[in-house]
Amino acid sequence: MSENAGSRNPLQLRDQPETCRTADAEERSAWQRVIGRFADNCRARSLFVLHYCTGCGAIELPPTITSRFDMERVGVSPMVTPRQADILLITGYVALKTLKRVILSYEQMQAPKYVIGFGSCTINGGMYWNSYATIKQLDQYIPTDLFIAGCMPRPEAVQEVFLELMRMIDAGKANAWRDYYRNYDHYLANQQALFGPQWHTPTDIVAEAKHYGLMGPGTTGPHTRLLDQHAEWALDRIPEDYPERGENERSER
Amino acid sequence: MRPENYKPVRHPPSHEYELYFGPNHPGIEGNYAIRVRLKGDVVQEAITDAGYLHRGFEKIMEERLWVQNVALVPRICVPDPVPMEESYARAVETLGGIEVPERAQWIRVLMLEMSRICAHLFTFGGNAATIGLYTNMFWGVTMRDLFLDIFEEITGARIYHMYITPGGVRRDLPDGVLDRLAAVLDELERKKPEFDDLFFENAVVINRATGVGVLTQAQALAWGVTGPNLRACGLAHDVRRDDPYLVYPALKFDIPTATSGCSLARMHVRRAEVEQSVRILRQVMERLRTVGGPVRAHLPNPLAWNVPAGEAYARTESSKGELAFFAVSNGGPKPWRIQVRGPSQMHGVQVLERILEGARIEDVAQIMFSLDACPPEIDR
Repeated sequence: MSENAGSRNPLQLRDQPETCRTADAEERSAWQRVIGRFADNCRARSLFVLHYCTGCGAIELPPTITSRFDMERVGVSPMVTPRQADILLITGYVALKTLKRVILSYEQMQAPKYVIGFGSCTINGGMYWNSYATIKQLDQYIPTDLFIAGCMPRPEAVQEVFLELMRMIDAGKANAWRDYYRNYDHYLANQQALFGPQWHTPTDIVAEAKHYGLMGPGTTGPHTRLLDQHAEWALDRIPEDYPERGENERSER
Repeated sequence: MRPENYKPVRHPPSHEYELYFGPNHPGIEGNYAIRVRLKGDVVQEAITDAGYLHRGFEKIMEERLWVQNVALVPRICVPDPVPMEESYARAVETLGGIEVPERAQWIRVLMLEMSRICAHLFTFGGNAATIGLYTNMFWGVTMRDLFLDIFEEITGARIYHMYITPGGVRRDLPDGVLDRLAAVLDELERKKPEFDDLFFENAVVINRATGVGVLTQAQALAWGVTGPNLRACGLAHDVRRDDPYLVYPALKFDIPTATSGCSLARMHVRRAEVEQSVRILRQVMERLRTVGGPVRAHLPNPLAWNVPAGEAYARTESSKGELAFFAVSNGGPKPWRIQVRGPSQMHGVQVLERILEGARIEDVAQIMFSLDACPPEIDR
């Protein structure tokens, strides 16, 4: 890699001193821990589910949302964008094409975020255990807090799992999302096994982990190094005289 | 976004742009996407992007026993699973030369028509929600839940019943379920004026849906559209009448049609179909009180059942259109080839792409819902 391209490499930002970072749990004062406890308490009572019908299970969500079972009375409501959602409800089997979108949506969501696997298909493949087109275990690709067994789970089961998630958040136990940062290499390895070594998402998980102080022993590894390599290849592929965005817009006018 | 992933492209002039509509867009029916190219708010071009729900049904069915597939087929179309079971069971019965007992045939018609009402109620709710009328969605889903309770009582499951098996149905109706179904039908008819008030006589719906997404009869026939979408163009084509199966010849019902082929006409046809289904159900319930006998023909040991070699094509009128199973057996314990003719493939992919051209962006979701495509059945 040439020196010129190296100076443009944004990955070098990682080695710069961290100027903005949230405090680790042990660094926090007692006052901050009280605030955190209070925040968990509030968070558990206002949850938004991402409106993404990934599979069959979406058919039991309208009854859960609407008048008969009415999940809004326990404080759970649908949300249309990933960035404002707290819960990613994977309703049933996930085909490979959907899994890419699921991972993109999951990485866009703001932490703390919770994933619920809905139905047997997310646990062991369910009815589609021998299908060539679906994944068999959801928690190999994104960390999952809770599962609902059954095909199809009833609306009561969906409500029960929401209540259980609230109890877990309240007790500070719904922390699967931290595992994505701490063991990103493991999840990325499984994703790369499906989608090939060129697989990458627009989100820089390693930089986020560093920024928020969530680096763990498995955050980086051989597979994230492949990601860095891919970024270098991408930089090498951009010609030096490629028009910048501003020039492009000016020439249009 | 990582800067290295940003690849500058030469953008077209800013009044023309492309929107990726779905798959987690609330206006999309299921896990499905449309790429729409817009000029202002008018759609220039729409390219559908299916495949999010592909499970490879036709392949995995070849790897399971004939009787194991009974559990698999209802999963093809989630809102309307019973016609799948019926179609598959009838294909296997044709291959095996099995005669279905009369009582089982009446029970199957009962299940099929209940499933049609459920699917149409769901579509009403979805279609109204795309125009912004959420009350209708709440009412439609709640009404459908009453039917799901009856399903649960008969079959033990709300959504996937796995009740219709080759040779008949799994078990007889529980005592008193017909009275409870009659009460649910009365409730539906009692609520009908309120539904009409809220949807079909609502100025918002009339102004938004009239003349939107028009499909002419010639286009519909050329593009292979079936079901309510074809009947809304003025052609009274219905598999229940044209190629009768089960006990439909003994039942009195009309085939509702409309002429304009627009979004509202399609919903009017569905509304009339719900009325006809209620009419059919009342006749079926009357006959079920008198017709007795077994509900299941004698079958060989299902785990070692070599279905005789041959080909069978069984078609059923589902709420989306003409659904068919083509089954080929080579005399073995597993199907040699199964092909599913899903009705949504026609109007959910090709037709949608064509009639979206010239529509406005706020009508895209509404046109999609009025066609009533079922993405899991498109992808299979």
